[in-house]
Amino acid sequence: MGATKKADAADYEALRELFRHHVESFDHLVDRGLETMLDKIKPVQIFDPFSNKTLKIWFAKPEVYQPQKEGNSKMSRDALLPHECRQAKISYSGKFIVHLYFQYDNGVAVLEKFNFGHLPIMLKSKLCHLNGADPQKLVSWKEESSEMGGYFILNGLERVVRLLILPKRNYPMSMLRNSFRDRREGYTDKAVVIRCVREDQSSVTVKLYYLQNGSARLGFWIQGREYLLPVGVVLKALIDTNDHEIYASLTCCYSEKYGRGKGVVGTQLLSERAKIILDELRDLSLFTQRQCLQHIGEHFQPVMDGLENESYTSVANAVLQDYFFVHLNNNYDKFNLLIFMVQKLFSLIDQTSIPDNPDSLQNQEVLLPGHLITIYLKDKLEDWLQKAKKLLQDELKNKGENFDFSSLAHVKKVMDKNPGRQIGSAIENMLKTGRLVTQSGLDLQQRAGYTVQAERLNFLRFLSHFRAVHRGASFAGLRTTSVRKLLPESWGFLCPVHTPDGEPCGLLNHMTSTCRITSFFDSKGKFRDFVKIRTSILNVLIGIGMTPSLPKIVQAGPPDVLSVLLDGRVVGSIPSAEVEKAISYLRRLKLSTTSGIPDDLEVGYVPLSFGGAYPGLYLFTNPSRFVRPVRNISAPEHGSQNIELIGPFEQVFMEIRCPDGGDGGRTNEFPATHEEIHPTGMLSVVANLTPWSDHNQSPRNMYQCQMAKQTMAFSSQAIHFRADQKLYHLQTPQTPIVRTGAYTKYCIDEYPTGTNAIVAVLAYSGYDMEDAMILNKSSVERGMFHGQIYQTETVDLSEQSSKSDREQRMFRRSNTDKSVRPWIDSDGLPYVGQMIHPNEPYCSVYNEVTNTTKNHLRKGSESVIVDYVAVDGKSKKILQKANIRFRHPRNPVIGDKFSSRHGQKGVCSQLWPDVDMPFSGITGMRPDLIINPHAFPSRMTIAMLLESIAAKVGSLDGEFVDATPFASSTTKTNGEEKSESELLVDQIGTRLRKKGFNYHGVEVLYSGVYGTELTCEIFIGPVYYQRLRHMVSDKFQVRSTGTVDQVTRQPIKGRKRGGGIRFGEMERDSMVAHGAAYLLHDRLHTCSDYHIADVCSLCGSILTTEFVQPQRRPGREIGGLPPIRAPKKVTCHSCQTSRGMETVAMPYVFRYLAAELAGMNIKMTLHLSNGAGA
Amino acid sequence: MANRESYTYPSNSGFGNDAMQGVSSAGVTVSYICGECASKVALSKNDPIRCSSCGHRVLYKERTKRMVQFEAR
Repeated sequence: MGATKKADAADYEALRELFRHHVESFDHLVDRGLETMLDKIKPVQIFDPFSNKTLKIWFAKPEVYQPQKEGNSKMSRDALLPHECRQAKISYSGKFIVHLYFQYDNGVAVLEKFNFGHLPIMLKSKLCHLNGADPQKLVSWKEESSEMGGYFILNGLERVVRLLILPKRNYPMSMLRNSFRDRREGYTDKAVVIRCVREDQSSVTVKLYYLQNGSARLGFWIQGREYLLPVGVVLKALIDTNDHEIYASLTCCYSEKYGRGKGVVGTQLLSERAKIILDELRDLSLFTQRQCLQHIGEHFQPVMDGLENESYTSVANAVLQDYFFVHLNNNYDKFNLLIFMVQKLFSLIDQTSIPDNPDSLQNQEVLLPGHLITIYLKDKLEDWLQKAKKLLQDELKNKGENFDFSSLAHVKKVMDKNPGRQIGSAIENMLKTGRLVTQSGLDLQQRAGYTVQAERLNFLRFLSHFRAVHRGASFAGLRTTSVRKLLPESWGFLCPVHTPDGEPCGLLNHMTSTCRITSFFDSKGKFRDFVKIRTSILNVLIGIGMTPSLPKIVQAGPPDVLSVLLDGRVVGSIPSAEVEKAISYLRRLKLSTTSGIPDDLEVGYVPLSFGGAYPGLYLFTNPSRFVRPVRNISAPEHGSQNIELIGPFEQVFMEIRCPDGGDGGRTNEFPATHEEIHPTGMLSVVANLTPWSDHNQSPRNMYQCQMAKQTMAFSSQAIHFRADQKLYHLQTPQTPIVRTGAYTKYCIDEYPTGTNAIVAVLAYSGYDMEDAMILNKSSVERGMFHGQIYQTETVDLSEQSSKSDREQRMFRRSNTDKSVRPWIDSDGLPYVGQMIHPNEPYCSVYNEVTNTTKNHLRKGSESVIVDYVAVDGKSKKILQKANIRFRHPRNPVIGDKFSSRHGQKGVCSQLWPDVDMPFSGITGMRPDLIINPHAFPSRMTIAMLLESIAAKVGSLDGEFVDATPFASSTTKTNGEEKSESELLVDQIGTRLRKKGFNYHGVEVLYSGVYGTELTCEIFIGPVYYQRLRHMVSDKFQVRSTGTVDQVTRQPIKGRKRGGGIRFGEMERDSMVAHGAAYLLHDRLHTCSDYHIADVCSLCGSILTTEFVQPQRRPGREIGGLPPIRAPKKVTCHSCQTSRGMETVAMPYVFRYLAAELAGMNIKMTLHLSNGAGA
Repeated sequence: MANRESYTYPSNSGFGNDAMQGVSSAGVTVSYICGECASKVALSKNDPIRCSSCGHRVLYKERTKRMVQFEAR
């Protein structure tokens, strides 16, 4: 191992790939996204009736700056680095400025600068200081050498935008949904839905509903409300056409010569329905395009802002342009697409095609952080502009002529009432809380949960945050399990193993290690020109026989020809006989770098079928699609360059073989055109780290993915510069002897997660029953699994002080109170390296106003050590802010949780001294860890056994063992090779034997206690063990008496508050069954809400009793004797006597019940009696 | 090391434990280490928090000179 080799940025290239979609989407935002977005915001116009001038305001150029320090009136500003933000608990954000154009009437447009606050900057993006820094530079900036960015720092916390699944853009999807029926009377559950996305990534979903009467309605959302229009009205409003053309276009996909043959989508019912659609138009007496536009304009004028004075026609045009098929600019294109959607809808009704599955990855894409911020920012800026307009109008209304409208300075002054800084903080808040605060909903299904904190519990957990894809919060509450299903469509894109079990199972998936997400940048980092790309694709298509769709040319439909859709635009039709040839040609062009066809073009060819998916050729170039690399074997002439990027939409209809030598059930008619690069490409990074996971039962691999992410590990290399609230750290990590290819590829050695422990599998002393394990105490004392938790307390005096006594508090030790001196230094902060026990002070704060000193006391039940004290002089002259980091020692104790990498978790039950451990007859070695053999038969984690013997060989030979799963499937079989598992075991066994060990990895062990040979040979060898973060010291709970609930006087719950664990009815039942009455009474009464109540035996009430103050008697202290106790202190209020008072022991809640019942006007009486006779 | 004598066990009545890191004319100073250039900075009560050599504003407190005793298990 070349230990002296300097880290190179290229080493982390594979790792960088995993984070790239986050960074690139943000790069696009600052590069072009903001500009395109501002272009799409409509100008506002304000008319001043006094000066008769119209002011037009629109957004022009955005400027975002790198994060900079808040200089104290200094001219030169320093760069604000991420580590400073983490430590000072501030946000990593850069100044955000937008230029606005102001134009009076048709005069010269004047550019004005507006400050929109600060925009959070994603780490490692183009605006981040870390961008392009090499590992050495990063380390000097107190970052990890492998820092990959992709997250934001907000108030010192690292937050990631969660990748969310969205419906695939610009693809008309046929759907069945019962909720469609509830739209209005006469609606069915069938519709064709298309999510149209503008260039600035904002989207509008358009739905085409089918009506029971055979017609269709078009629904689209404007400002949070759905509006429904008859489809005929829109068809006619879009272009100047006539009934005959619409009829012909709608019915063109039906031809009498095909019955219900292959690929036929149209039926003779089509003409009936086309007639119904046209009849509807006639009933509305709309005959021309003009009439239709007026009809639309009339209805939509109230909801279209800024068009109050426009004509109906221009309103209608605006509606069609802004809310209807927004991904297309041309009305002819919109018309063609609408015709296509109607045909698809009718084919769904006639069951000549099946509905698309919205839960399948085939019809999904992903929401990227940059895009989310763009659309949210657009919403906010639009709001701001509208508000500015309103302010100006109000000003005009209120002040009238006094308001100098023609002066830009005055206008700006009015607009400043609506501070632009809020925009920046709105974005920051969105990222901080993950909540969208918006009127329109932005065409997104959820309001909250867009961001999560990127926990650095260990590197794998951190990394998984960037690879996780969530289905959406709305699906979490769904009772059906269909959305959680693992569908074959997600093969190669989503890891089948890496999903949590339990509540988010199947909703929170992880992308496979090879899965990428398309972006605005190509593989060389150059910005993609989509217009150019589309034209070159179009040219290629026409070259290979596509008939371009010119307006008003009625085209035939399947099975003769297939419609070609390029990014949701019907560009033409291609004869179905030639389509296969065209596709393989397109795929070949994808591989070539010079063709102008992007390498991630998705060639979704849905072939003709008998009532299958609606056929067509769907091409996608857009960003935020899933893609993964496969090898194209049908294009051998390209030789070296045959890696093709494919998407989930096309994958379904492709023949991709696995290089395991099998044919995958494929027949000769459909030969494989593509080949998987490596079988491990179907697994996520974390799942890829499990050695020989192909030898394990699959649920065990799932558990391992879970546990790998809760392992206490080497979490950060810059741990000294971190001020995380809680940080787990393993003191003595090791690199695993048995490792997979992914381990080296993704540089996991930078953040090792466990220890190679010598594991003996035997039942020894019974302390390893039921997944318990015995640790070698001496090994632990030598440092095995040692670890600690770092916990940071940030004391910010400027923050917590109320406005009244601001700046009057400071860190200072009290001069008078000498009792705190053992703990607190003269600066009011603790001594570094000192141990602080519970309820001892760790810092003193002096308040100048009240002249008092307040000590902050340690809470909890644990002694901690002061790890560091960092003082921060950023804000004020005097010290206001200090980070005090405590170290909780967490060396292994009984009750801590450990696991191997095979989903085999266990709890330490004993720490045995070395001398009591069994020892090997040959080597004399004692195991570090003993587990029970019963852990294996039912769980079938064979890979763990393999790991044990392989690691043994590896450590004997002094080399790492490659445990990449499916290793045999990558080598081409020549027919007579043996099966892999035999090979592996044989190989390891022979090597073991060569070294003088048993072939099967067993050894003769002697009892450590008796010194006698154990009757069995024991399986023993090194296994990589992880220490999990669940530790007893953080969990134990004990209580006899303590805090009680105010109302019921019963013990409270919660470890933090010193509460107890509920002794519930099932526990009670078992006590009853045992006849343990005394114990039960003790638990549920004496230790709980034991209460002695005064009961009036006359009226039977426990609520009417009252204490009577014993009257003072004058002769009270005669003779120095204590006065006799006032005989009757308690009286019954209703009986006006104390005669019948008795005391009864009861639970306090009973009294509470009586009070509650009394509150409901129910009287409860107790009939008291003495003894059993009653 | 010179200050070791001044250590008394924390459970002591809490007197005479005043770990004087240095008594200069300005009063009691506490020494810090700069987070940027790692140079030692001695600050007294009302000094501005910043490194004297590089001007960095995040300072780490130096480890105490007092004897620290831990249970070694």
